[in-house]
Amino acid sequence: MNARPSRWNGVALLVALTLLWEAAGRAGWVHRLFFPPVSRILQSFVTLVASGEVLPHVGVSLWRAGLGYLLAALAGIGLGIAMGYWRQAYEAAEVVIELGRALPPPAIIPVAIVFLGIGDMMKVFVIFFACAFPILVNTTDGVRAVDPVLLRTARTFGLGEAAIIRKVMVPAAAPYIMTGLRVALAIALILTVISEMVGATSGIGYFILDSQRSFRIPQMYAGMLVLALLGYLLNRAFLLADTRLLAWYRRGAESA
Amino acid sequence: MRARIPWLGLAVLFAAFLAWEAVSRGFAGLGDYVPPPSRMLGMLGQILVSGELLFHAQATLARFAGAYALAAVVAVSAGVAFGSSRVLYSFVEPLVELLRPMPSPATIPIAILFLGIGNEMKIAVTAYACTWPILLNTLDGVRGVDRVLRQTAATFGVGPWRTLFQVVIPAASPQIVTGLRVSLAIALILVTTSEMVVADDGLGFFILDLQRSFRIPEMYAAILALAVLGYLLNQAFLTIDGWVMAWHRLGTRKEVV
Repeated sequence: MNARPSRWNGVALLVALTLLWEAAGRAGWVHRLFFPPVSRILQSFVTLVASGEVLPHVGVSLWRAGLGYLLAALAGIGLGIAMGYWRQAYEAAEVVIELGRALPPPAIIPVAIVFLGIGDMMKVFVIFFACAFPILVNTTDGVRAVDPVLLRTARTFGLGEAAIIRKVMVPAAAPYIMTGLRVALAIALILTVISEMVGATSGIGYFILDSQRSFRIPQMYAGMLVLALLGYLLNRAFLLADTRLLAWYRRGAESA
Repeated sequence: MRARIPWLGLAVLFAAFLAWEAVSRGFAGLGDYVPPPSRMLGMLGQILVSGELLFHAQATLARFAGAYALAAVVAVSAGVAFGSSRVLYSFVEPLVELLRPMPSPATIPIAILFLGIGNEMKIAVTAYACTWPILLNTLDGVRGVDRVLRQTAATFGVGPWRTLFQVVIPAASPQIVTGLRVSLAIALILVTTSEMVVADDGLGFFILDLQRSFRIPEMYAAILALAVLGYLLNQAFLTIDGWVMAWHRLGTRKEVV
């Protein structure tokens, strides 16, 4: 309980599991075709990356996820500030948003296909739709939670509406906004994969499902490894940005 | 607690429906893609009466319930075990860090390989996805239990099992509930997704199938039904949460006052 246990425990277990997998795969304990040894999966991974076969899929997925996420961030933060700041705006939009939020986002895919076909814009729209809600709701909460004393102080010093929003509101709500953005990041990846599985001819989600359907099983596992790495790196990048942007906030919280 | 009726919000929703109705009737070609709400509601009544909607909703709900219950039991137990012992957790930490960032729908192809395209596959995928938020929240909750509470229990000679069920789990329950709430939404996403990828029943299949057979008004009606289902599940969760966690709200409120 007192001393922090060694990190090597986990690494050891991971190595043991990998060896067990390798043995099970070679011996065919689970299923010779469906459960290839780790070495074959890694080999497939290296081949895919070296031949450049998987990179276009990753690129296209990143482009869809990035655009949908960016649009959701713009709309979610913008609307969220409006709804947090003006009570009337909140009350007007409340019911529509509650209804939209209750809908599991994959259900919007067929609608998006009707309007946008099965191209990039369909996926971007689906990602946008799914990501917008957590960002919007968190931003609204954040703005509503801003200490009224801050606002009154700003008004006393004669700051205009726009300056108050920019210099007081947004920084004070930033921790909430970042929470919404972090939740939305995971959702963006999930919806990218889903929309690519339902209707697509490119992207990492399509690549994985297509590998399974054409029984290129090691390649399917390698595709999942690519996706896990992608998720890990995006998460790391977000945490890095978060630490930089909110360093002032953490410092304040520590000294308080 | 929720006595306020959001009149303005309802008015806006109603106005939006009226505008939609007008636009959709006004432009001839548009009606095929965006049928007027009145037709959508008519279709909702029709698929409700024909029994189609209930048939698919029932399949979805059964999968949802099975997967959610499975995830809750497994993840809360694992979370309590790993949260109570740092040594135990140190063994699985890299594994958790490796698996967690992978978007959960990516497990669908593997699940198809091993479990086929039936209910087991959908339940496994959904349960896998729901496990993470519950597990991580339970873990945090158990770790955050005030030491004094445990020590007090020990001083009074309370055994380890009673301490677990009467001290640790209640103290961690607000966070466990948070994890369960997050998973509720995730469960619906994964159930409908797995039904879209491969199924012959369930609301996810139904909606996609309606679109593919170009029964567009029915598609909208089914989507509306799914939104209502999501809303009702969430409300049910909040109601149960209100009953079960009433003691916690009461306690924290007193502290504030």
